[in-house]
Amino acid sequence: MKDNDNEAKIILQDVCKSFGDFQALNNINLQVNKGEKIVVCGPSGSGKSTMIRCINRLEEHDSGKIIISGRELTNEVKDIDAVRSEVGMVFQNFNLFPHLTVINNLMLALKLVRKMNKSKAREVAMGFLERVQIPEQADKYPIQLSGGQQQRVAIARALCMNPEVMLFDEPTSALDPEMISEVLDVMIDLANEGLTMICVTHEMGFARSVADSIVFMDSGEIVEMKPPDEFFNNPESKRTKAFLSQILSH
Amino acid sequence: MAELSGWLDDYFWGAMVVLKVFGVSLTMAVIFGLMGASAKLSKNRIANKIANAYTITFRGTPEILVLLLFYYGSAIALTKIVQIFFPQMPFVDIPPFWAGSLSIGLIVGSYATETFRGAFMGVDPGIVEASRALGISNLHTFFYVRIPQMWRLALPAFGNHMLSIMKDTALISIIGLEEILFVAEMATAVTLKPFTMYMIVALIYLSITTVITMVVMLLEKHANRHLEVAK
Amino acid sequence: MNLQIYLILESIPKMLTGLGVTLQLLFLSAVLGLSLGIFLLLMRISGRWYLSLPAFIYIYFFRGTPILVQIFVIYHGFPQFEFIRDSVFWPILREPFGCATLALTLNTGAYVSEILRGGYLGVQRELHEAGMALGLSKLHRFVYVTTPIAVRIAIPAYSNDFISLLKATSLASTITLLDMTGASRTIVAETFAPYEIFISAAIIYMVMTFFIQRGFGRFEKYMSRYVKP
Ligand SMILES: Nc1ncnc2c1ncn2[C@@H]1O[C@H](COP(=O)(O)OP(=O)(O)OP(=O)(O)O)[C@@H](O)[C@H]1O
Ligand SMILES: [Mg+2]
Repeated sequence: MKDNDNEAKIILQDVCKSFGDFQALNNINLQVNKGEKIVVCGPSGSGKSTMIRCINRLEEHDSGKIIISGRELTNEVKDIDAVRSEVGMVFQNFNLFPHLTVINNLMLALKLVRKMNKSKAREVAMGFLERVQIPEQADKYPIQLSGGQQQRVAIARALCMNPEVMLFDEPTSALDPEMISEVLDVMIDLANEGLTMICVTHEMGFARSVADSIVFMDSGEIVEMKPPDEFFNNPESKRTKAFLSQILSH
Repeated sequence: MAELSGWLDDYFWGAMVVLKVFGVSLTMAVIFGLMGASAKLSKNRIANKIANAYTITFRGTPEILVLLLFYYGSAIALTKIVQIFFPQMPFVDIPPFWAGSLSIGLIVGSYATETFRGAFMGVDPGIVEASRALGISNLHTFFYVRIPQMWRLALPAFGNHMLSIMKDTALISIIGLEEILFVAEMATAVTLKPFTMYMIVALIYLSITTVITMVVMLLEKHANRHLEVAK
Repeated sequence: MNLQIYLILESIPKMLTGLGVTLQLLFLSAVLGLSLGIFLLLMRISGRWYLSLPAFIYIYFFRGTPILVQIFVIYHGFPQFEFIRDSVFWPILREPFGCATLALTLNTGAYVSEILRGGYLGVQRELHEAGMALGLSKLHRFVYVTTPIAVRIAIPAYSNDFISLLKATSLASTITLLDMTGASRTIVAETFAPYEIFISAAIIYMVMTFFIQRGFGRFEKYMSRYVKP
């Protein structure tokens, strides 16, 4: 049973990335199997965003290999858009299209990329809005929604494409405290349904209950990668300990 | 290009006239702009109304109409006045240089009014209060505190106004000022090379506007020097 | 004095014909100039130097020289060349109306492309990324995400440029065209009543400016419906 699931969805091999002189990612190795949930944490500037943006090719890595569902990301990949539509991404600042209503935010890629007709797209989109529990907001513009609602729309928009993998980049850190849990609840639901997820977050409660492994990054490197119990109770590296003591003391 | 050689000094002197118009119009535009902005920001309702009428009028009317109106209009008015004293006087001419510079100053001043108004509003009121609290008079605060602060904010837009003034100077040839367009017309009549002659005018303007753009960039750097982090 | 008023009344039809010419110049060069501006914008943002550099030079020239000089170069200057006189465009370039329209189009195209570029640069990079992450192609992102937002951002500046264009049409009077300003000038030459005629013309221009501003204001409000809650 376990062996069957061990199909690698994402493989990063010796991935390096620099911005000018600055090395943002340094020999990253990571494998994420089907259905696995990975939480990534680490201090600001450690390269967490850069790593998951490379997976979606929003940044291009300089060397090493990134393989998504068996397809390697290179410059030659002509259908990079096709790969992207298999990988959903949720951003810290939601990045909803401000000029489109909620339902149209969801329908846009369904119509253009999935080539659905309007009524089919609408049906699919409404289904996902119900899943994130805001079908009643369908015809509003993003700015008319609270932050938590906007982020749930953003999640629904990514889910619409029926991705095999979902990437989250600090999805709750732009939210007021009282809205964090409504977004985390949606994410926990997705995790329970068996979606493959990589999630950058500092919500340690979420990490503890959902993650299969926690990845700790510092200065562009993966310092440590362990299941939650071991990670919290038995961290190896000094850097991890320092980070944990800081984040858990609040 | 041989036909050009005879005309080079004419173009040069024409360009000097253009620069003179530019200098006078620029000064006027700054003065009208500061007056307009102060009037718009003052609590005096009548001053507000006058300033609004000023900007609406001059921003909504083609430059050439303003120019023609000032040139012919003031000539007629002046003739009427002069004829009261010297009835035998046939007609008084207004120098196109002054009619033109005044028109351009008024037109661009109306745009500068809005720029300066916005920039004055961007000045931190705390700084003005601090100056008043030091016992510095209102007038001195205006010139030594508010204008230098406002200037920094106004510069990018004011740079564009300077370019407008420069380009508007070409209009004065319409009322007979002997500047570079006039030179081109003369040269064309002799050489029958209109494209060459008018293109030279274009290139002269292009060089001057390039210089203005660069000067504005330097001024901006200078105005923002206190914001640069010490190294 | 009576004679004056009679002459002025008689000149009203002339002014109205002039107004028609002004509006023709305005709308023709606005539409052509907008198309040119979009074309230049695409060249400018193509990311290929052999497209963006010529567009840059074009824009630099037309924004750096007075429109009056551009009109003169075209109207007085083009006939210097035999190949222009022999070309199929000669019937257009021979006429002052064609020259004025061409000059206004070339001029406003340069400004419009910069205004639109400002709009495009104003669209947040994050929205491009959101589109990319959904797998939208470059063309789809350009059409469905960037353009509607860029247009909204560009409206106020475009509205100002449209008013500048209206005012610039008056320069057609310098190449013998009887637009509203040209008509006013001929009437003034006949009646020698500059105040009455020029001020009436100015008022008509101001009224047009007012309606242009209002029209674009409405359009902007419509396009901005999603900005304010
Ligand atoms: N486009 C870029 N150009 C230059 N430097 C960049 C760029 N993007 C990221 N960096 C740098 O790379 C480093 C890693 O950035 P990254 O955004 O991945 O960090 P992060 O771990 O996500 O931090 P945070 O918790 O603040 O989001 C940072 O030092 C950042 O300044
Ligand atoms: Mg980050």
